[in-house]
Amino acid sequence: MLQTVSVNIIRILFLVLLQALVVSRVQLFDGLIFPWVYIFAILMLPFETPRWMVMFIAFFVGLLMDYFSGPIGLHTSSCVFLGYLQPIVQKILAPREGYDLTQRPTVQRMGLAWYVTYAGVLTLAHHSWFFFMEVFRFSDFLYQVFHILLSTFATLVLMTIGQYLIYNSKSSQL
Amino acid sequence: MKNILALLRRFYIFLLFLGLQALALTFLVRNNRFHTSEFIQHSSDWVGGIYSQRAQLSEYLRLGEINDQLSLENALLRSATPENYWHLRTDVDTLRDTTTLQRYYYRTAKVVNASVNREKNYITIDRGTLGDVRADMGVIAGGNIVGVVRSASEHFAIVMPVIHSDFKASVRLKRSGAFGSLVWAGGDAQLADVIDIPKNIPVAQGDTIVTSGYSTFFPANVHVGIVDWVDDSDNDYHLIKVRMGVDFRRLDHVLVVSDIFKEEQDTLLNKVEQQDAANGKR
Repeated sequence: MLQTVSVNIIRILFLVLLQALVVSRVQLFDGLIFPWVYIFAILMLPFETPRWMVMFIAFFVGLLMDYFSGPIGLHTSSCVFLGYLQPIVQKILAPREGYDLTQRPTVQRMGLAWYVTYAGVLTLAHHSWFFFMEVFRFSDFLYQVFHILLSTFATLVLMTIGQYLIYNSKSSQL
Repeated sequence: MKNILALLRRFYIFLLFLGLQALALTFLVRNNRFHTSEFIQHSSDWVGGIYSQRAQLSEYLRLGEINDQLSLENALLRSATPENYWHLRTDVDTLRDTTTLQRYYYRTAKVVNASVNREKNYITIDRGTLGDVRADMGVIAGGNIVGVVRSASEHFAIVMPVIHSDFKASVRLKRSGAFGSLVWAGGDAQLADVIDIPKNIPVAQGDTIVTSGYSTFFPANVHVGIVDWVDDSDNDYHLIKVRMGVDFRRLDHVLVVSDIFKEEQDTLLNKVEQQDAANGKR
């Protein structure tokens, strides 16, 4: 239990720093593609985490990210939205025999198809909320849709590659 | 009562969602409306610390280029020193200039973090209130306009650059002297817009745009950029696309401009406005 908590805290800090210091610095096509990979920390919470706790963790992850990038509240709001949706999406995608509650939603455990659906839907939801909150005007609607889809795709690819790099063995506790 | 409790139990997740969402949006609104939010002041010191570590690293990797810039600047400054001038007159007395007073004062600062590809971009510099950098001071780099300080903590300040969707500054066409407003509509970080210049004033590609000196943020005639193209599809005003002189992707040393007369000018304007308001009431 204590190990799970500390692993998750370290993962959150690592991903927020990685986002702020490395990923956000990468310029792809004048900002058309802007991946937010730090949400990986929220997606990786164990299945057994209670819903209220998922939302509180998401709130604080978002707040931490906001300190590093732009106006306070933007990431907080998008992450709370993500934290609200996450258990719902998990419930919809639940396999017939249910989840092994002590596990985390990884490719190795749940399969690539399941993972891509799960992370894809949630990343799209988070990015849409975030980018529309950030811009707040719909004049260049098509550009924004394009922007969201490409960024979601980039985030998804980075997170999936990350999974294969980190969770190589099934026994990995990270 | 029992029903209400049952209802609460059923929807508490959704209510929690609404509560946290409301809190987040409060942060967002409060922080956009006010100049200096307490929240940012406390946090920007440690976040700024992390960013300045990273900036140090990337500055180290670019030392060669920075050296070139500095030595060029040194050469220019050196050639401007008095001993490099040959005096035409031999009867020069000591002169004490009493016809001018210094109005603008410049301080150096280093950029520790900057974003360019968002709608609302920010720049963090490593000078704050301890270095007498305060909100509403202008920031320039290499003689070009960069932005305006929005809030300062002890060691760091956050600058709102031209490439922020809320930025606005008074500028003019150097050739004709016509005034307009400098804004940024998003997209390309090198292209800004000048609006509010009427159609009867001629604008051509290659014209220079400089600051007007009307605001207390910048002195007059700070270089803004060169006219790239003009969009005349609107009926009354030009939409002038300006290629800015400053490259926001490669900023590291900037100057913070403080206007020594700012307080005086603002107080005077306030006083007159208050008088007018009082007269209006009577």
